[in-house]
Amino acid sequence: MEAFALLPDEINKLVSEFHSIPVLGDLTMGLTQYTFWLLASTVLLLVIMAVFVKKLALVPHGTFSNLMEWGISFVKDDVCEQIIGKNWKRHFPFLATLFFFILANNVVGIIPGMKPGSGTISTTAALALVVFIYFVACGVRARGPIGYLKSLAPEGVAFPLNILIWIIELISTILRPITLAIRLFCNMFAGHIVMGSFAIMVTLFAQPLLQQLTASNVLAALPGVLFALILLVIYVIEIFVAFVQAYVFTILTAVYIQEAEEVEE
Amino acid sequence: MGVIGYGLGVIGAGLAIGLAAYGCATAMARQPEIQGRAFTVFIMGAAFAEALALIGFVVALVVQ
Repeated sequence: MEAFALLPDEINKLVSEFHSIPVLGDLTMGLTQYTFWLLASTVLLLVIMAVFVKKLALVPHGTFSNLMEWGISFVKDDVCEQIIGKNWKRHFPFLATLFFFILANNVVGIIPGMKPGSGTISTTAALALVVFIYFVACGVRARGPIGYLKSLAPEGVAFPLNILIWIIELISTILRPITLAIRLFCNMFAGHIVMGSFAIMVTLFAQPLLQQLTASNVLAALPGVLFALILLVIYVIEIFVAFVQAYVFTILTAVYIQEAEEVEE
Repeated sequence: MGVIGYGLGVIGAGLAIGLAAYGCATAMARQPEIQGRAFTVFIMGAAFAEALALIGFVVALVVQ
């Protein structure tokens, strides 16, 4: 079981690879690996969208057009119309941009050798801050500054409790962008650490076999097959998580916007 | 110690997500026509519960 003895060092090496490492310039001025893949995924998304817009037709033909139309109608039906309700049209561009941006980042990060742009807290915190400003602005536009602050606490609560609930709601509103940022970051980060750990286990078990082909080395490498199978399963789950996290981020944004704007009868 | 603490923190989130999935499955079995809506609510509930576990993860990483 010497493979397990080597594990902590390898894991530490793996985790240190997930810090922001500059690939061009330094940390103050330059590109880190995350910024690089962020730009790469953005360019990829722009190219895909440009091709799609060129193919736009009343009746879509082909796999590509239909896939894109399905994705967009998914954001439109399941996120915008279902959650926000009648004035979904105003928020659709923002929500669709968020969804496809995060999705492109997550999916690019899944490909081995690439890093997700959303795998660093800086990117997700920036996204969450944009969302926070957006939904507060929506609330202020719908009710006015004082009205929005008042609307944090539900109406019809007796006087002393009113203030307590208002304070709790204020704290939960401030916590929203923090949880949004941490949720996306941690899902990407933890998922990649888990995938990396299992990949390391496979290589550690297979290493003696690669150096010398003997019967005992073949036997020692057998647990590696098991770890490779688990790695495959986790890889599939991570692809699923990439979609679910983009969906969760968008749907929570929609819920916050709806809550800020809803008019009580 | 941080790892043990994180493991303890995950118990709550695990129970919460399990309960949410249970409720979602029961609701879908009783009323298949609300499948889409129930799934959305399930994902949202799971996301809120998961956020707590992830905060524990961050704290375990930061405070060592």
